[in-house]
Amino acid sequence: MSRALGLAWLALLVTLPAWMDDPYCLHVLIVTGIFVIAAMSLNLLLGYTGQLSLGHVAFFGIGAYTSALLSLGFDLDVGGGRTLLVGPHPVWLAMLGGVAVAGLFGWVIGRLSFKVRGAYFVIVTISFAEVVRLVALNWIDLTQGPMALNAIPPLSVSIPGLWELTFYKKVPNYYVVLAVAAFSYLIIRRLVRSRAGRAMVALKENEPLAASVGIDVTHYLVVAAVVSAAMAGAAGVLYAHYVRIIDPDVFLFIYTVTMVIMVITGGKGTLAGPVVGGLVFGIVPEVLRELAAPEVQWIVYGALMILIVFFLPRGIVPAVTGLWARITARPPLVERRPAE
Amino acid sequence: MKRISATSTLGLAALALAWAGAAGAAETIKIGVNEPLTGAVAASGNYVTDGARIAADEINAKGGLLGKKVELVIDDNKSNPTEAVAVAEKLIVRDKVPVMMGAWSSTYTLAVMPKLMEYGVPMVVETSSSGKITVSGNPWIFRISPTSEMEARAFSGLADKFGIKKADFLVVNNDWGRGAGAAFAKMLKGKGIAVGVTETMDAGAQDLSAQLAKIKASGADTVFLTTGVEQITLVLKQAKALGIKARIITTGGSSAPNQLIAQAGSAANGSYHILFFAPWFPQSAPNPGVAQHFVDEWNKRGLNFAGLTEGFRGYDGIMTIAAGIRAAGKAEPDAIRKALWGVHVKGVNGNISFIKQGPAGKESGQNVPNVYVVEIKGGKVILPKL
Amino acid sequence: MGELLQHVVNALILGGTYALLGIGLTLIFGIMGVVNFTHGELYTFGAYMMVLFAMVLGVNFFVALGLAIVLGVAMGAAVEIALLRPMRGADIDTTMLVMIGAWIIMQNSEQWVWSGVAKSVSSPFPDEPLVIGPVSLSWLRLFVMGAAIALIVGAHLFIHRSRLGKAMRATFQDRDTAALMGVDIDAVHTATFALGSGLAAAAGALLGPVFVVTPTMGNLAALKAFAIVILGGLGNFTGAALGGFILAFVEELGAGYISSGYRDTMGFMLIILVLLFKPTGLFARAERIG
Repeated sequence: MSRALGLAWLALLVTLPAWMDDPYCLHVLIVTGIFVIAAMSLNLLLGYTGQLSLGHVAFFGIGAYTSALLSLGFDLDVGGGRTLLVGPHPVWLAMLGGVAVAGLFGWVIGRLSFKVRGAYFVIVTISFAEVVRLVALNWIDLTQGPMALNAIPPLSVSIPGLWELTFYKKVPNYYVVLAVAAFSYLIIRRLVRSRAGRAMVALKENEPLAASVGIDVTHYLVVAAVVSAAMAGAAGVLYAHYVRIIDPDVFLFIYTVTMVIMVITGGKGTLAGPVVGGLVFGIVPEVLRELAAPEVQWIVYGALMILIVFFLPRGIVPAVTGLWARITARPPLVERRPAE
Repeated sequence: MKRISATSTLGLAALALAWAGAAGAAETIKIGVNEPLTGAVAASGNYVTDGARIAADEINAKGGLLGKKVELVIDDNKSNPTEAVAVAEKLIVRDKVPVMMGAWSSTYTLAVMPKLMEYGVPMVVETSSSGKITVSGNPWIFRISPTSEMEARAFSGLADKFGIKKADFLVVNNDWGRGAGAAFAKMLKGKGIAVGVTETMDAGAQDLSAQLAKIKASGADTVFLTTGVEQITLVLKQAKALGIKARIITTGGSSAPNQLIAQAGSAANGSYHILFFAPWFPQSAPNPGVAQHFVDEWNKRGLNFAGLTEGFRGYDGIMTIAAGIRAAGKAEPDAIRKALWGVHVKGVNGNISFIKQGPAGKESGQNVPNVYVVEIKGGKVILPKL
Repeated sequence: MGELLQHVVNALILGGTYALLGIGLTLIFGIMGVVNFTHGELYTFGAYMMVLFAMVLGVNFFVALGLAIVLGVAMGAAVEIALLRPMRGADIDTTMLVMIGAWIIMQNSEQWVWSGVAKSVSSPFPDEPLVIGPVSLSWLRLFVMGAAIALIVGAHLFIHRSRLGKAMRATFQDRDTAALMGVDIDAVHTATFALGSGLAAAAGALLGPVFVVTPTMGNLAALKAFAIVILGGLGNFTGAALGGFILAFVEELGAGYISSGYRDTMGFMLIILVLLFKPTGLFARAERIG
């Protein structure tokens, strides 16, 4: 039954361009989809391993800038009168590069988390994102700083020299984002249900105990960090080639906060949580654009977040699930511990 | 597994909302306005938008355009180029504007330009000064503001009268600041005047003591300052606090001298400002009737007098667009584009019409506006005696 | 040489306000274990209160300053009672999220009420600087430095001489024992948050007239406060005070001699380095609080 629902949902999304051809709607869904991917990646760190990484937007931005720079080509004065010249690369290759570099930074953060925990880790991750933003802002030779990286080539796939397919229009971009989102969902689901996933949850619940049982804490933290960062990087890559312009403001803390809101209100530690949260917080601002000033909207989101933390501490999805279970008078599949 | 049904319900609801929200249009002629209403240069963006509103209301009071009312669709680009692109996309795709005005800063305008090409919608550029905008082969761009080169050229005669021997540059770190710095430096060097240090500052930076300390140590007699009015205020105050004696000349026309007097106090005295409208002396404008009328309407609305030096840009921009729509006979992007080449508008700054600039076959439109220089002395704005 | 002296003087003046910011946060962090995301917003709040009283209502500058600080304390207490007290037993993530929510609400409320256009606060001090040799000192900034130092000394005295201060130190050392000894932990928490917030508001009220007041000015201030807390060590009053000056020096000299653009980066690089090599802070040996 649930399988059918899931497939029906997917069918709805796949056929959507056929029955909703308003390009602006598609645009909103594409950008929302990109944020959903980023939220899912944050959920892996935040919800499943319990690491409050508040610098997550750094991976998003690093993926975006790397892919953009590789696809545009750049030259960099490396001192001593020499220049590093990198020619423009095919977009799909640049995209892979973006994901890889983001994952690399994820590895660094993962290793760092071994040394510092809790509140210190939060501060380090925030500082990391700020440093990356300031570097992007000031290293004008490389990133163009506030002048922004413009005219980034659109998404395309190609076989070098033989064939190239470029996605200029909204509909193909929508499908690419949908495909990456679905793929990311499956990866996370796979990971969470594997041994690695169970180890991560053990880590979140009680780290010393997990370590004492022989779970290699560092190893799993690093795995989670790398996958999470790479996925956020993938979202950033899609963003760069869809919006086709990026500037250092992409690293602003407010975007991390947006992702955090999506994950927390949707339900951290659940698979559907970030999807729901992402859809809600991606689409609602657009709908409310006519009705309320952006500041008022944000005040509402802030209040919403506080209320959810107070009353629905595990988020919308678990709350609705619990309600649904009570309504259908069937016991939940897994005994959940009561909310704090 | 029940989770998926929860997702479905919520997702469907969200989609339905989005669909509903996207519907709806009214029978007016829409003109898009893409300006920074919040962020580092919010003051200027708001002034320009106020001017635009005055123009739109005036047009509607006289019966509208082509028998319909003019509706300004105003959106905030948050002083950010990526957001400017998002706003342009929204204005074109969602609000279906046939023409727009924007985006204030050269960086935002440059960012928006590919979208104009992609969708084929003309934009009147009311403030941006980077030379790149009109020479990159974009036939959808029509600029009424001067380029930094034009500004520098217009100022060139005054450089001798000021007796400048050595000049430093303090510019905001974006296309506008850097372009202005480069253009003025070239002009000065062409006259054999020495150029000292060129310091840049981040648009949002508040503490400029490091840059100013270097400028103080350079021994120049003049500092050319290019940035938004908020940052000019900070520079004037901090320069005074550091005891810098060099004369400060602001470029770009976004200095709102009355705001400087109000916020920087006596630190503003002795500074000079290049402007494209001098609202203290509307009778000296090329179209004194238009200028006076605009100043009166602005004051009648109780708007901040300081904003007149920028508000006129919005006014002239919308009036130019209106002339284009009237000449085109329909609110259709390509028709408006063709019609804009032939407009002659009596604007607040002067007479507006477009000459061709840029690569052949893909020229952009450029106006040749008037340039004024004023001085702040004793808390008042005067025409300098040179 | 003149330039160097000027940079040193600038750093000294800036360091005082940084110290205020850092001390406030380290107290909250140390005693309550809360990552206070609203710290930057209290800083902004203090600045806007100056705009309200000194500019809109025309109140005397110094009275406005006092009012801004008092209101900052009150706002801090309100936030603590409304949002943190109910969260007392929760884990650090949850509390952090509540603080983030509060931060969003406060910053957007300020933007909504005051609009995004920068506001200026005029001061009664003369614009002409005091010139001593190659160094120029603005009177306003001198006042700010003096006021900051006075507040720091005042806070220090409060923590060491008053009963409430003693209760705060006891709670920091060992909360459970303090509770057993009859210390009203609730009151201590509220007082700590209120004091920390008051100091942040003071920093904002003092710096508002020096620069301009915008709704987002607190973001960078908050991040620098975190840097100072890390530098000085959690809950370490003296460490935070010294950390404030160190950060100011690193920033000022870095901006002056390396690159003005990377000014703000210095602080964050410092945090990362300190956390990697000496996580307990540069002054770990100094007394824990006070």
